[in-house]
Amino acid sequence: MTLVERTRAALTRAAGVYRGSGFDGRIAEVRERLDEPLRVAIAGRVKSGKSTLLNALVADRLAPTDAGECTRIVTWYRDGHTYRVTMHPHNGDARQLRFSRDDGAIEVDLGGIAPEDVHSLDITWPSQALRRATLIDTPGIGSLSERVTRRAWELLAPDDEETPADAVLYLMRHLHANDLEFLHAFHDTEVSRPNPVNAIGVLSRADEIGVGRLDAMASARRIAARLAGDANVRRVVQTVVPVAGLLAETAATLTESEVRHLRAVAALEVKPAEELLLTADRFVNTLPELGLTSIEREALLARFGLYGVRLASTLLRQNAQITATGLARQLTERSGLSDLQEVLGSLFFERRDVLKARSALLALDSLARTKPRPGSPAVAAEVEEIVASAHPFNELRVLATLRAGWLGGKPAVVDELERVIGGTGTAPHVRLDLPPDAAAGQLRSSAAEALVRWQRRAENPMTAHEMAVAARVAVRSCEGLLADLNGRAR
Amino acid sequence: MTQPAAALVDLGVKACTAYGREDLAARLGRTRGALDDPAVHIVVAGEFKQGKSSLINALLGIAVCPVDDDVATAVPTFVRHGEEKTATVVHDGNPPRHEQVDFADLRRHVVEGDEGRRPARVDVTVPRKILNGGLVLVDTPGVGGLGSAHAAAGLAAISVADAVLFVTDSAQELTRSEVEFLRQARELCPTVVCVMTKIDFYPAWRRIRDLNAGHLRMVGELPLLPVSSPLRTRAVRANDQALNVESGFPDLVKFVQERVGGGAAARRSADAAAEVLAVCDQLTGQFTAERDALADPANAQRIVDDLNAAKRRVEELKTAAARWSVTLNDGTADLTADVDFDLRDRIRKITTEADDAIDEVDPADMWPEMEEWLRARISYDLLGNYTYLRRRAKELSEQVAGHFHEASGEAVGLLKVYNPTPMVEERPVEHRIELARMTAGKQAMVALKSAYGGALMFTMLGSLMGVALGPIGIGIGVVMGHRGLKDEKKRQLEKRRAQGKNAMRRYCDEISFVSGKDSRDTVRRVQRQLRDHYTRLADELNRSTAAAVAGATDTAKRSQTERQKRLKDLDAELTRLAQLRERALKLSAA
Repeated sequence: MTLVERTRAALTRAAGVYRGSGFDGRIAEVRERLDEPLRVAIAGRVKSGKSTLLNALVADRLAPTDAGECTRIVTWYRDGHTYRVTMHPHNGDARQLRFSRDDGAIEVDLGGIAPEDVHSLDITWPSQALRRATLIDTPGIGSLSERVTRRAWELLAPDDEETPADAVLYLMRHLHANDLEFLHAFHDTEVSRPNPVNAIGVLSRADEIGVGRLDAMASARRIAARLAGDANVRRVVQTVVPVAGLLAETAATLTESEVRHLRAVAALEVKPAEELLLTADRFVNTLPELGLTSIEREALLARFGLYGVRLASTLLRQNAQITATGLARQLTERSGLSDLQEVLGSLFFERRDVLKARSALLALDSLARTKPRPGSPAVAAEVEEIVASAHPFNELRVLATLRAGWLGGKPAVVDELERVIGGTGTAPHVRLDLPPDAAAGQLRSSAAEALVRWQRRAENPMTAHEMAVAARVAVRSCEGLLADLNGRAR
Repeated sequence: MTQPAAALVDLGVKACTAYGREDLAARLGRTRGALDDPAVHIVVAGEFKQGKSSLINALLGIAVCPVDDDVATAVPTFVRHGEEKTATVVHDGNPPRHEQVDFADLRRHVVEGDEGRRPARVDVTVPRKILNGGLVLVDTPGVGGLGSAHAAAGLAAISVADAVLFVTDSAQELTRSEVEFLRQARELCPTVVCVMTKIDFYPAWRRIRDLNAGHLRMVGELPLLPVSSPLRTRAVRANDQALNVESGFPDLVKFVQERVGGGAAARRSADAAAEVLAVCDQLTGQFTAERDALADPANAQRIVDDLNAAKRRVEELKTAAARWSVTLNDGTADLTADVDFDLRDRIRKITTEADDAIDEVDPADMWPEMEEWLRARISYDLLGNYTYLRRRAKELSEQVAGHFHEASGEAVGLLKVYNPTPMVEERPVEHRIELARMTAGKQAMVALKSAYGGALMFTMLGSLMGVALGPIGIGIGVVMGHRGLKDEKKRQLEKRRAQGKNAMRRYCDEISFVSGKDSRDTVRRVQRQLRDHYTRLADELNRSTAAAVAGATDTAKRSQTERQKRLKDLDAELTRLAQLRERALKLSAA
């Protein structure tokens, strides 16, 4: 039985136990959630660029963004057949709201209700990107308004039940003590904690790290790599990816007229162009012969940022033949969004079942413990059985232990262990450290070798107790890999 | 700025030496010393990666502080004026170890990196006009969020600063922790200005500026200066005036030179003038008494009697039974006890809180964070304890000053009675007394500052960072795959918690031992400084009255012609003193 099937079986048993107790709805909710797309929350400190990144991921300017503090209500963006906005107030029933969409972002009319009284907004929007993951935009922590901050906490680290999100993208501009505290709070205590398995760090507004120099992203990449290797960071996030959010958002929604305006800038000689792009103020106010009105220039700045204008005009100067689509692709590439999407794929989406089952089991566990009924101890026992024995959870536990630095051993061995149990991605070639185009035969022989290697480590009397336990899990992982590969071959 | 004051003090020294009052000359010599070495500290503070180091480089037009995209400044850098570019790395120790390093090599010492042998601070001198008046720019490590130990250290640095440049970039409006930091900084330092950097890069900086202005109004009226460091650097390199104006730096330079540098210079000049004034009063009193006795021989005996009465009072001031001395001794005992109690109380609260915190988490996961939290928490409470000590010491100093002046004022008053004609236009009496008390009080404050300046915070917090909480045995077995998982986990957790609490207690004990000793020492230093200060004052007064008595007694023995000659001399001296006094008055009023 797979993990999801076992979880479903536990849910069925729970449904029987709680039938007619007033918790049917709750269990139906959990079951529904198991089949939904993965819920990914985007969190971070104020002004770290959460809404901007959300727009970039959806490839549409849905969430409103602004220079001042902007997102004040937790907002869910999910795929659906129709365009609809539903408001959930703190007190009272959910209701549908009117909204408009003039200048890109969705503007919601709260209908006279103060933002403080709104628990969350639910926006349904037909979108390819949202089919894979429901995205949750959150207000930033460290906001000047205490209430706004508290909302983000409530969403990601509620006191009572399971976390509403399955995974979190944590945006940081530079690592901060607050960031770590927040991430810790997000992790639950049951499956294993701290648990880097459901969090990815994003070094956001990456273009600002080098204050807009053309090599800013290279700097950002270096910093992200250092952060990802930091012991404290490793304990709470799987990896850190740099993203220039504004550029990514704009690249995903680039228009022809914008490219035309940029071409005018690119047509300048290098020297005057450099003078023009020295400061944001200069770009708006000097060189009238450029042929762009100051409104058009301000619009360009708002969309690209100074770094984006510098980069895009340089790209256009180097290759005048490039099309709007080509430019968009290059900008997406340079903004770091492609890397982020790849990481999301291998670390979140490939692990969807585990993350989903985990959320469901957590919810079930807390229900069985806090609302006892005849038969509920059996539910709790079944949940514990699954949590304790399911191989994917064992992998996660070893991963967490390893990430926390509790597993001693030769660095090469620890690295291999992390790969084999899926710490860097669950695809077979990633686990076996082979190129993506490796042939099936090569995969199989490599997996068989790994199996022997880990069996030997597990049985070696010289191996430390902890490493031996971890090695047994690695053996299971290798066996699973082989079974999969053989199944595929047949 | 301080040249007139220096000239005045020099004159005063000359006069004192001529009249054989080396004690007064020595007092003015100390004043002169303070004028010559007028360190005015401007601390540049803010969260990290806001462009603090770039701001200093741009302000000076020279690359002093290393700037990097990634690693941040980790060591405070003191930049002051000097003929040559030099760099000295100062390591902790007793005495601190100084090491000359290559200017170009500074980066290696200042930025984050090797935790192990990080120096305590770096001293840099550069030939720059703006620093000429004794300005010292202090580049600090970023505070990294309020509530961190770094922030406490930053605030400690601010408590001895003359001005603070708070740096925030134009990427976003001020955050809650920044506003909170500003609020605390303002309580510790009179002059705080908020500098908004990177306006060249952020198109929406005007919006942010307006939002920030709104937030700053909540803190109190703070100036807000938007600047661009790269523009300024470019302007300096190309000598481009227009570009310089665009960078926003002229306003900042003006602020630094006039409000901070100028303000401090004016304060110092006024202090020096007041000092000269006090010395003049003593000398004048001495001569006036003699002159009066000479001018009116019939009255001479009465004058001598009165002077003797004054002398007795002054002598009383010197004894241990004098009221100020009793106040000082009792006050010190109280101060020691109260500060100690305050510290213990704070540590006790921390221990309770830490126990509660440990009960809620798993030390194995949270230990590094707990350690960080505990350090931050303790830093803050030590800062609080230190502020408390300062406040109480100041109160004590004021009390002692009050009692001393009550007693000495009468004596000085007795001396002054014999001043028959106001030689300069007298200002209202209350004002004069107040002036005298103010200077004496202020002097005592200077003495106090040297008693606790730097004693506690910088070194204290620095060495605290060195005290390790120590790792706890984690003892985690990787258990899995069977039913007992939960119970086994719980048992291990309890063990870890007990270990954690023990380590925490030991740490708190250590801290309270070290800092208790430190604050007792500080109080003792305060007491010694105050005692020496007022004993010296009493000695001076004693010599003044003794000289007056001797002068007045001598008159009886003089012949008529000698008297006339002496009278003429005295009038000439008094006129000279009056001139000096007038100059001092003018300067102190300016």
